[in-house]
Amino acid sequence: MPVRTFKKGVHPHDHKERTASSAVEDTPVPALLRIPVSQHLGKPALPVKGRGDEVVPGELICDADGFVSARVHSPVYGKVKRIVQQPLPAGRMSDYIEIEVNVEETQAHEWQRRDVDLDALDRKAVVDGIRDAGVVGMGGATFPTHVKFSPPPTAEIDTLVINGVECEPYLTCDHRLMLERTTELVEAIRILHRGFSFKRILFGIESNKPDAIEAVSTAAAGVSDTPIEIVPLKVKYPQGAEKMLIYAANGRTVPAGKLPLEIGVVVANVFTLVAIEDWFFWGKPLVDRVITVSGDGIKEARNLRAPIGTPFSDLVDGCGGIVGDVTKVIAGGPMMGVALPTLDYSVTKGSSGLLFLTNAEVVDESPCIRCGRCVDVCPMNLMPLKLAAYARAGKFLEARALHLNDCFECGSCAYACPARIKLVAWIRYAKNYVRVHKL
Amino acid sequence: MSAPTEGFILTSSPHDSAADTTQRIMFAVVLTLLPAVVMSVFYFGLRVLGLYLLAIVTCLLTESLTRRARGRSPWSIADGSAVVTAVLLVMVLPPRISPIALMVGCVVAVFLGKEVFGGIGCNVFNPALVGRAFLSAAYPVQITTWTVPNRVFGFLPQGIDARTQATPLAAARFEGIYEALPNLVFGQIGGSIGETGSVFIVVGGLAMLALKLIRWEMVVSLLGTVFVLTGVFYLADPINYVSPVFHLFAGGLMLGAFYMATDMVTTPYTRIGNVIFGLGAGILVVVIRLFGGYPEGVMFAILLMNAVTPIINRYSDYRVFGAERAGGRSRSADGATERKGTQ
Repeated sequence: MPVRTFKKGVHPHDHKERTASSAVEDTPVPALLRIPVSQHLGKPALPVKGRGDEVVPGELICDADGFVSARVHSPVYGKVKRIVQQPLPAGRMSDYIEIEVNVEETQAHEWQRRDVDLDALDRKAVVDGIRDAGVVGMGGATFPTHVKFSPPPTAEIDTLVINGVECEPYLTCDHRLMLERTTELVEAIRILHRGFSFKRILFGIESNKPDAIEAVSTAAAGVSDTPIEIVPLKVKYPQGAEKMLIYAANGRTVPAGKLPLEIGVVVANVFTLVAIEDWFFWGKPLVDRVITVSGDGIKEARNLRAPIGTPFSDLVDGCGGIVGDVTKVIAGGPMMGVALPTLDYSVTKGSSGLLFLTNAEVVDESPCIRCGRCVDVCPMNLMPLKLAAYARAGKFLEARALHLNDCFECGSCAYACPARIKLVAWIRYAKNYVRVHKL
Repeated sequence: MSAPTEGFILTSSPHDSAADTTQRIMFAVVLTLLPAVVMSVFYFGLRVLGLYLLAIVTCLLTESLTRRARGRSPWSIADGSAVVTAVLLVMVLPPRISPIALMVGCVVAVFLGKEVFGGIGCNVFNPALVGRAFLSAAYPVQITTWTVPNRVFGFLPQGIDARTQATPLAAARFEGIYEALPNLVFGQIGGSIGETGSVFIVVGGLAMLALKLIRWEMVVSLLGTVFVLTGVFYLADPINYVSPVFHLFAGGLMLGAFYMATDMVTTPYTRIGNVIFGLGAGILVVVIRLFGGYPEGVMFAILLMNAVTPIINRYSDYRVFGAERAGGRSRSADGATERKGTQ
């Protein structure tokens, strides 16, 4: 089978060997959860529980505030201790609901499978279910999934692209999921297919995960009512980006500045699919996720399933602690993740990785030598060196005219830059300026 | 936990980078030049080795002093760009160049060619060629006195100093004498220190292509243009025009195509821009060689194209993924253009 891909991009060292073959393990139930009300793109959810309220697993603790927002549920038995303001990993402040966990009761809890009549599902039931379960894009962008599946009347969804790429170095949670929960993945695709009757269902997996390709192919061959095409992809970063994946999987180009819906495509991460299956078959909303804890600075690298709200320090303890001189901690992957000042954060719906790096150092920028490598690698065909120069000079209108806002900050340009110019940081600065000043 | 839980480095993503740095790129370029450098010492004697060392010292010193004067760390010379300039400048000078002239060339190359523009990355013209152009005007006799190489490290087999002789391009142009191709390729000809022996330049150039230090678009575009244009003239009138193969291997074309036109700072950064540059430089080379007052035109061709590089860069942006047309100068929603605000 020919192996497909997108144009340009980079080949960072993938560092996945440490966790690629470690099965997902459950973290011990934490004594305290700290759950942010804002775990998604869009308006923060509104707390519906207050101090002293008892909660049970799956109970709603924050309701969606408007359409582009997502519900939050309690993963545990426990009691709301207080609501505090703390920064999210990305820096913004958010309310956090602190829950004192009833550990024993939570350990004993098991989700009960329920019978689902797939034939009775229509589109509304599917989308409502996704919304009720608080599912968001779990590849990291955390866009509320029910919004993605609610096209405006003018658009029609005809293609579902499943993202099993996991192109970020170090991360292996999606890979493990495709191996360990293949059946659930296919079930979720069947559920969506009932609601949308896709013309094509494409499942993109990079060829460095042959075991996942095989597992998914086998499972897909076992269902007759839902045709799933497995698309092996050449290993390249950032293939997991929506627009790149769509191009790689079926050669279609999403217009600049538009969403994939524009051409009738919806992309869903494999984790998102499993969360959908969990809701329909088990009544379990999105209350936990698998996170890859890795890097040279962690004793035992692992893929851990942790309740949403688990403090990062609990994950560190679950991995044998920190070893060596850790200089940088990253929430997410090394290409798009966020560096953390402390471990005082917790697992959210978008937490795909927690990395402890020992070799990180601060490197000064040197002058741009106009080698054009950033231009060579930008998957969006932007001119990162021009955008950064305009940002540095405060010429934000000029930057915007050069499609500033089409940059999705994959980091390929800054990765490739021999002068170590912080291209993404400059571009982000310009984007923020343009947004804040409504240019 | 005894390990630290705070004070981690906070920087913007990405948190990983490719291995290449400016310094490594410059170092690699010098390494790929070694075959040609070694052969030039072999052909023209140890004196040439002295010239290389003198040029490197002079360039580094000039850069260090000017950077200190500009309030920068004098150690920023460690990026290695001055070494590249020094080696390339020596390679485009005749073997009998006097040390004084060479030092003048080095100071001009680094100071007027690069530092006055703001240092590495800011210069418009190829520094080595700026130095060469200055010497053409300042030392017109020295710069056109060519010697045919001796073979054995400067020991003279016949007991005579090297013969002076016109370069093959000049001989072909003004005397109608054509040098045999093997001599052109392996360097048994009169010419600049590093320009003779084109094959050694090509070896280094191919290494740079393999390491992706330079772009094949530039090399193919420039060499292809020269080959096709001189080929047209040769086919139309083989008596008065030399074969295109001769043109490829004669003079400084190989050095120019692989090492001068591929200088990152002074040439376009998009691939289409590289093609345009190569096309323009190729046309200029042929026009100067066939119709100009000089037998060789690579230096002027590249310097002239350096001058238009900013314009090429302005108009050769890629079409943004999913956008309808190329470049950013198309009007955006409220009519703001890239140009707006620059006045």
